Amino acid sequence: MNLMRSLIPIVMTVVVASKAHAHHSAAQFDFQKPVNVTGIVKVARFSNPHAKLILEITDDSRGKRDIEFEGHSRNNMYRQGLRPEMMAVGDEITIRIAPMRDGSDGGYVTAFITVDGKAIGNISAAD
Amino acid sequence: MGKGRMTPSINRISRSALRCVCVCSIAVAQLCSSVTVAQENRPDFTGVWTVYRSGDGAPAFAAGPRPSFTSGAQAKVETYQRVTANTNHSPGAYCVGTGMPGSMLGSGGYPMEIMQRPEQINITYEAHGEMRRIYFAERVANPNDVWPERNGYSVGRWEGDTLVIETGHLVEQVDQAYAHSAEARIVERYRLSIEDGGKKVITASLTMTDPLFLTEPFTTEKKWQAVPNGRLMTYECAEPQWLDVLERLTTQDSAGSN
Repeated sequence: MNLMRSLIPIVMTVVVASKAHAHHSAAQFDFQKPVNVTGIVKVARFSNPHAKLILEITDDSRGKRDIEFEGHSRNNMYRQGLRPEMMAVGDEITIRIAPMRDGSDGGYVTAFITVDGKAIGNISAAD
Repeated sequence: MGKGRMTPSINRISRSALRCVCVCSIAVAQLCSSVTVAQENRPDFTGVWTVYRSGDGAPAFAAGPRPSFTSGAQAKVETYQRVTANTNHSPGAYCVGTGMPGSMLGSGGYPMEIMQRPEQINITYEAHGEMRRIYFAERVANPNDVWPERNGYSVGRWEGDTLVIETGHLVEQVDQAYAHSAEARIVERYRLSIEDGGKKVITASLTMTDPLFLTEPFTTEKKWQAVPNGRLMTYECAEPQWLDVLERLTTQDSAGSN
């Protein structure tokens, strides 16, 4: 299954100004076309100013590979309900990302669903 | 010398001392009372505050026009924008705080904490852990002995129930939305109010003047609402870079020992 076909497009109005990410340009991310991606956690580092997630993704065209994502800060995620014990290496999770504008792997994580089904952030609506 | 002759003297001394203690106590009590009243008349901004949200939940961000720059300042701002356009280069990307007035007006939407004492108020913006210290009266330093910083040096005073903060000793900054020279001066005026329902709200006006960068004073306003029993989190922005370095060193060490 092609990665892009495996992504579930969600057309939303994204209010970028309401988010706490004044740390670097977000120009490379397309917040107007958020998508959901499912993969296996290889690295989960929740830090400031941004979180770092590496997921093992599998698709038909390019097979299995690790993709690195950026995300909201630890402080922001904490206020949305994230706690350290909620995610571990090996967990299968779904993340909601603003994909790369150039179509390359990666993106900016704005929300996710933990292995226990808990939604952190708004996984299906505007930020 | 018998006890009987000492007792009246001691009694007299005791009575005098008692009268003195009483008088002094009343005086101290009156002094304390007047100080308490004076402090009580000043609003207490102590607490954690976040961006004000109106009834519909929408956050209220700083409004008002952007600064009107002189031609020289505009050229510097455009150069900064040109060299950083389409890059990830920004102060925040290097864990550098925004600096005033951006730290007060923006702060990435993160909350702030105010700790208020009569002689000093500390304001911590969670983003990048930026802290401003506002000094009063005897705590104010010799103005010729202050090192300029991105958040400047702030002196506070009270005008009735309004907290007035004047900030100078800034450095030139083109790397924030409210670019300014080192000659800029900022005056903030903070007022506390309580809305129907008990929500505590801070409303602050800000005016920045700058003979080198601005063609006219820049004025805007920002509001915060209290976060009852709120807490700020630390913001170790450089931690990821350090962890990357540590991981690389450890990997190199493992490779060397194999």
